Formats: sequence, C-alpha cells, structure tokens
Amino acid sequence: MKINQTINKSPQFRVLSEDQIEQIYFSALEVMERTGGVVYHEGALELFKNSDALVEGNRVRIPITMVEEALKSYPRKITLKGRNGKRSLFLEKDMVSFGTGSDLPFTLDMNTGERRNTTYKDVSDASKLVDALSNFDFHMSHGIVTDAPNPQTYDRHQFMAMLENCTKPMVVTSVDGEGLEDLWKMGCLIQGGEHEFRLNPMFVVYIEPISPLKNDSTAVEKLLFAAEKRIPAMYTPCPSSGATAPATIAGMLVQSLAETLLAIVMCHLKNPGMPLIMGGVTTLLDMRKSTYSYGAPELSLASAANTDISKWLNLIMFSTGGCTDAKILDEQAASEQMMNLFYSYLSGANLIHDVGYIDHGTTASLESLVLNQEMIGMVKQFGKGINTDDEHLALDLIEKQGPGGEYVTTDHTFKYWKEWFMPQLQDRSDYETWVKNGSKTMGQRLKERTQHLLDTYQPEPLDEKLRKELKKICEDADKRHM
Amino acid sequence: MSVRTNYTVYESPRLQILSEDQKEKILNGMMRTLQYTGAHVHHEKARELFKKAGCKVDGVTVYFPPEVILKALSTVPPVTEVFPWDGNKEKKVVVEKNRSYFGPGPTPPNFIDTDTMERRKYLRKDANIVARVCDALPNIGFVQSLGSISDVTNDLADVYEFADMVRNTTTPIMSWSFTREGCRDIHRIAIAMAGGEEEFRQRPNYIFYGEPISPLVSDFHAIDKCMYCAENRIPQVYSPCAIGGGTVPATHAGQLVVALSESMVGVIAAQLINPGTCVIIGGVQSILDMRYSIYSYGAPELSLLSSALTEVVQYCGLPMYSQSGCTDTKKMDMQSALEASLSINAAMMSGANFVHDNGYTESGLTGDVFQTVMDDELISMARVIERSFDVNKETLSVDVIDSVGPGGHYLYEDHTMKWFRTYWMPTLMDRNSYEGWVEEGRKTMKDRIIEKTRDLIDNYEGPRGKVPAQADKEIERILQEAEKRAKESESK
Repeated sequence: MKINQTINKSPQFRVLSEDQIEQIYFSALEVMERTGGVVYHEGALELFKNSDALVEGNRVRIPITMVEEALKSYPRKITLKGRNGKRSLFLEKDMVSFGTGSDLPFTLDMNTGERRNTTYKDVSDASKLVDALSNFDFHMSHGIVTDAPNPQTYDRHQFMAMLENCTKPMVVTSVDGEGLEDLWKMGCLIQGGEHEFRLNPMFVVYIEPISPLKNDSTAVEKLLFAAEKRIPAMYTPCPSSGATAPATIAGMLVQSLAETLLAIVMCHLKNPGMPLIMGGVTTLLDMRKSTYSYGAPELSLASAANTDISKWLNLIMFSTGGCTDAKILDEQAASEQMMNLFYSYLSGANLIHDVGYIDHGTTASLESLVLNQEMIGMVKQFGKGINTDDEHLALDLIEKQGPGGEYVTTDHTFKYWKEWFMPQLQDRSDYETWVKNGSKTMGQRLKERTQHLLDTYQPEPLDEKLRKELKKICEDADKRHM
Repeated sequence: MSVRTNYTVYESPRLQILSEDQKEKILNGMMRTLQYTGAHVHHEKARELFKKAGCKVDGVTVYFPPEVILKALSTVPPVTEVFPWDGNKEKKVVVEKNRSYFGPGPTPPNFIDTDTMERRKYLRKDANIVARVCDALPNIGFVQSLGSISDVTNDLADVYEFADMVRNTTTPIMSWSFTREGCRDIHRIAIAMAGGEEEFRQRPNYIFYGEPISPLVSDFHAIDKCMYCAENRIPQVYSPCAIGGGTVPATHAGQLVVALSESMVGVIAAQLINPGTCVIIGGVQSILDMRYSIYSYGAPELSLLSSALTEVVQYCGLPMYSQSGCTDTKKMDMQSALEASLSINAAMMSGANFVHDNGYTESGLTGDVFQTVMDDELISMARVIERSFDVNKETLSVDVIDSVGPGGHYLYEDHTMKWFRTYWMPTLMDRNSYEGWVEEGRKTMKDRIIEKTRDLIDNYEGPRGKVPAQADKEIERILQEAEKRAKESESK
C-alpha cells in the first residue's frame, strides 16, 4: 500500500487560468456599472428603482456591490426528479449530463430524407427516443409543435408530448408568463404539489435575454415568475460573436456574463435564493454565409471557457454539444458533433444541451439523437481515465507472460476487457464479414437502429387520471385563447 | 493607468489524464519490468552492447538495471530539428515537448483507388499521390506513405517509396524499411537531397520509423535498424503496436507499462551507441475487439491510451509518437468522421509530437488519402482549441460593448472588422443556409472531400521540378544499384 497518493479519477481539463477568469469577471462588472442593460418590464424596473441601481428610462446600471451580494444567494446544487420518481439529475460542480435542445421548426424526415415542419408526432418520437437512450439524462423538446391548435398555447401541448413519452427530468420552454404558470401547474400536479415541486423539481425553465444586454418583457415576465415560485431557471443568452456580441471570444464571454449578472441581480431583488443557471450558446456568425454556427470549433472553445467561469462563480452551467451545421447526417455532422461533445464533457459542464441539433440549430433529426447516444458513450469512455491500481498495472501478469507471450487467453484479459466501450453502431468486423453483411454504411445501420427503437420501445405510460388532469390544463388554455 | 501584475495565462487548454503519482507508478512499472522480466533482443551485437553497459544477459533475454535506463534517459536530447530539403522554414519540424505535428501512417497493404474509389493493392503511383497531396495540406506536418508498394521488386518497396516521395514533397518524411540495407539506401537518398553527409548531420531531413514487437521483443531487424540510425544520427521512432488484451494486458495501465518498456530498449541501444541521438517512442495503443479479433483503430480507448502514454513519455523527457484520424470503417462514412474527430482532438490536447495514422481505414489495413484530406480539416479545427484565445484589454471589448450599447449591433464596428478574421474558416465544413446548400447541389461532406482531393491530385504539382538534377541522378543510381543487389540475392 502506498500513501500520499493523488489519483486522477478522470481527465482534468481547463481552458482558462484563474487570473484570466478573474479578468473576464472584472470586465463584466465594469460593463454592469458603465453600460448596464435595458429592461422592458415595468415590474422589474420598479424593483431596480427601489434598489441602489441607476434607472434611466429602460436603461439600468448596477453597482458592483449589488452584483456580488446577489451572487452569494444562489444554490450550488439543484437536483431534478423526473416523472419516473427518480432523483436522477444532480446539477453540481463537475457533474455532467446530456440532453436535447428545444423548439426546432424543421425536421429531417427519416423516411423521405427531406426537411419539413416539425409536428406533435415528431416531438413525441424524439421524447420516446430520449427516454430509451441511456446517455440522455434530461430532455428538451428537440422540435417545436407547429401543428398545435393555437401558437399562443403550443407550449402546453409540447410539454404533453414530452410527458407522455419521456419520464426523465426536463428543460422546458414557454410562450410567456402565463404559459410558464400552466407548465408549472402541470409539474406540481405530477410531483404532488407546490412544495413537493420545490423539493423535487421536475424541470428547469429555459429563458433567454436578447444580446446585447437586452431583456424583453416576455422573458422578464417568465424569469420573475420563476423567481417567485423558485422554479429552477436558466437565463442564458445566445450571443452571436461579430453580430450581437464582440468578435472576440473574450468579449463575447464578458458580455454574456454581464447579461447573466443582470438577471442574477434582478431575481435576487424579486426573491433571493432561486435556483438560477448560467451558460448559453456562445458561438459566432459566419460572415460569408450569415449563419449562426453550431459546428464551429470556437463554440467548443468558448463553451468550455464559460464552464471554467461558471465553476469559479459557483454557478451551475448550461452548455452546448452534439450539434452541427450540416444539413443531413454526413461526415460533417458526425465530426462536428463529436468535437463539441468531447470538449463540453471534458470541461465538466452540468447540462450539455442541443445534442442532436443539425442545420445550424434549425432542424431536428431522430437519427441524430441515436447517433449521439453512441458518441456520448465514446466520450464518457475517454472520461474514465486510467486506473493504476496493482491489478490494472498487472506487473505480475507481465512477468508471468514474459517477452513474446500472449494475453488473449489469460483470465485477467477475460475479466478486464469488459471495462472497454462496446459500440452499437460502429462496425469493427473484418472486410469480408462487412461485405457479407451487405456493405452497410453507418448511416444505414443508424436508420435501422432508430426505426427499431421507435417500433419497439414503450415508455412507462402516464397515469390515466393524471393525464386527464394535465390535458385539462392544456384545454383550458386553448379555451382562454380562442 | 493601472497595471496588472502576478498574472498567469493559459496559452492553451490543459488536459491531464494522469496525476504525477500515476505517471511515476507507470514509470516505475517500466523499471521493474525491464529489470525483473527483461526483454528479448534477437541480435547478438546488441546484446553485447547491453552487457557491456551493465545489463544481465541470459540467452536472448536482457535484464536492464535502473541505472542503465536512467543513464540513457539522461542523454536524450531535449530538442531536435528536422529540416525540409528545400530549406523552407515553414515546414521545419521541431521535436520538443508539447509541439505537435500530424501526418499519415506507414505500410497498409491496401489503398482506396483515387479514381474508382475501390479498395485494391497499394501501387507505386499511390506514393506519388500521397506525397503531393500531403505536401499541399497545411495541417500535415510530416509524411508517411499510407501503404506498402506492391508493384516493384519485392524487397525494394521501402526504397522506391522513399525515392518517389522525397521528390514530391518537402514536408519531412518518416520512412521505414525491411532491413539495414533498405535503411542504408534510404539514408543515401536523404544525403543526396541534403547535398552531402556533413550537410545531413547538420540538418537531418527525415525521420526513420521502426518497431519492436509486443510483448517485449526486439527482433533482429528492428534493433539492427535502430542501431544503424543511431550510428548515423538519424532521428528515429522506436515504438510498438501494442494490442490491449492480445499482446499486452487488457488493462490500460498494464498496457502502458509494457509499451513503454519495449520502446525503452531502443532508447537505451541508441543512447549507448550515440548519446544525444533523437529517439521518439510511443506507438499505436489500442485494444483487440474480442468479438471480431480486430485491432481497433476507432475505439475511444485508442485516444485514452495514447493521451495517457504521451504524458508518461513526456515525464521521461522523450518525444511521443501518437496516432489519430484513423478508423475501423471500410468505406468513408459517419463512422470514419466521428472516430477521427475524437482521436484528433484527444491527440491535440495531449500535446504528442508526431501524431500519425491520419488516413488509416479498415482498422489499419487500407490507406485512404481522402481520409487524410478530411483529417486535415479536423486537425485545423482542433488547432483552434489548442491556440485558445487571448484575454486582454482589447479582446475583453469593454469599450466596444459600451459604444454598441444594449440592443445594438456589432456588424459594422471596426473592432469586429479587425477581429472576426481571426476566427477559423472552414474549407470542407458547410455553413450555408439550407436553401444555399440545396442550390449548390445538396453535397455531402464526402462529396466535397472527393472534389478537393481530386483537384489536388490533378492540379498540384508539388516540388518535383525543384529537385536538384544532381540529387535526381544520384537517386536513380541508388535505385539501380538496389535492383542489382536484389537480383544477386535472388539468384543466390
């Protein structure tokens, strides 16, 4: 037995030094006092007016003391419990989870290979897959229900599609404050009440400010409702470096942190101690094509750096991975998704979302979800690091087998090869076997696997009485908005 | 104006798989293995060399005491330079810690025909294609052939390959050979390109690749070539292809111990012969897929093992020969891309010196230059992470954030005009809108890769025209002599 040993149980990864993180944070504080932000919500402006902040019209400038005071009041841990009754999503420093993104208007149809509008059925199918795939820890809608009775109430129906087919914790989106209230009521019904929901929240609500530094009335309405009810929320920008944020990664991170800090102060004024999450999609505008890139290496770099900042601030991080600019599932989709999965995982981000996004975050793809299941598995295998205990160091075995020996038939190999990653979609057969099995590409295997899951997987059904009660909330909302 | 002091920056991200204690454990595992288990060395002169240095020799087994290993490690050079034969500084290779170069790999029997896209035996013309395409690719820092020529005199595939490649690329080549004779021919060609023996010693223009056999065996030719390189101060790789669960333990730590031990035999031999000569170790580290008995080139374990071994090798003060950009797939598809993407990024973050096998498909049995072209793009993306980003007053952008103001726009700012150019520009990744992509013919990345590769093959001449006439003549003479020698040994 050796003493005083430090072992890396997993790889250690960091983009920024502590000094660099501090410099970004101090710059964000400078923005808070010097530039501030705009808020288009009377109630929020009222909160700021009654504080030490300076309010001029919609412009709010916030003294550093307020920011640092507010920062102290946020929880370092949030635990979510899905409708399956399992407290399964532990959001705390360096605990990583993967999930889908939300609200994609288009879907790449599996059968036709064509892009079309996303429907209720597509969201149901995506939800079913997320429930079935072990490497997905939380669920966002993936697509947006475009065939709902009313665009003002689509969010309730979307949530229903998710709930009926997926039992895992969720990140939800809502149309407005009223929509969020309905979703929250549905969540409370499932968890058994308001207090139960607070102890065992089943979802985080996704809300975003508009870069640069703008908070519209709907976003603030939702955020303040979440603060009031202590619903876990993320208020995370999607800055587009070069368009809605500076054309440098450092500048983009300063601005997006300032956007977060403003929300942190606002929620603190409303109701201290709400579970608020930072992060977002930090990437660039491709200047030649005027597209927002989900596959750029800078997305990986900026997200990993942002995660370093979140850990330093003791805030929970919502990051991005498993997404691509490719229009279909091809070599580009696979390599970009793998790359951003790799870095978001290594960085230790808590919620890695947008897994499965294709086409710059405008198109959903069921097969893409199944593809990412495999890639997340590979990345996690890398994350296991190297076990260096005596049994794994295997010096006795090495001596026993000796120079020129073999290891295939040893008990040691039989025992430990099971620690390796077992691919489900990657082909490792020899050439002849591969030809004999039809010379299939990964795309073909992926399609078969996806179809098989859709045909055979049955998610645990919702209790019928509960389902009716949930449905009633949706119908009441439809009636109100007739 | 206030000034910032006591300030540390990360110039690049930090990835660390092993702690100091873990690295020491594996290093000590190597020391214990070489001392008590020993290694087979099938070369009498080499064994004499080891014996004279203080090793115990019993039959073909050599036991290396720690002081012999430590002495060898004390004379390995901290830095070595390899020079392109045309003097192009841009392509110079500096072998030192955390400086990485990516390249293809040596010797698969098959190749993907660049016209038909079918798999067939590797031909002499393929070496020319690989050399020129690699010469043109900006992220390929050293060149290997991606095959073993099947249509020249049997024993001369190695010499023809080098003779053809060196005249079609100025990017430093990593060569291989069957025996010491091939090694000598290749070296004479390199000397011809360098303009003389003394010139070569001053400015070596290639690296030699050799490998011991796992577990713990240096066969005659491997150690014989290693000794030749050391005598002539040719920078060399001496690294195994260790098969987890096959030729080394199934546990990663055990695999690292064996792989490090067998490489160390070459390091010791080289340092005894010529202290200060450059030896690069590491090698292919992956696992045996138990279901198909296939040595996997796409497994995530390959990336994990290689990154970890890089740390141990660096800990020993040696340069690392790692791998990436390779795949188990038979025909380019998503599998090739995702496997390459993972291994390239892992290798980049590990800081390995020479990362080879970019362009290996079918588990190392088929070379595919299309894969190399794809890998070139993936390497340049990984470099974006390696370079990281600047955090300073100008990049922090507080002034421009203030002048744009909440709700504003950055598109027309001077700051934007200056800085957006520093962002990475894809050459194969599509960033069109959906409509633009449809308009341009719904191309997949594979379609774009094929176009780009064929364009290079058809239109990129490479440095063939710049080869000095004298060197050209000398190379032809060396080839003729080699042919004569081959005929003679055949008639014997």
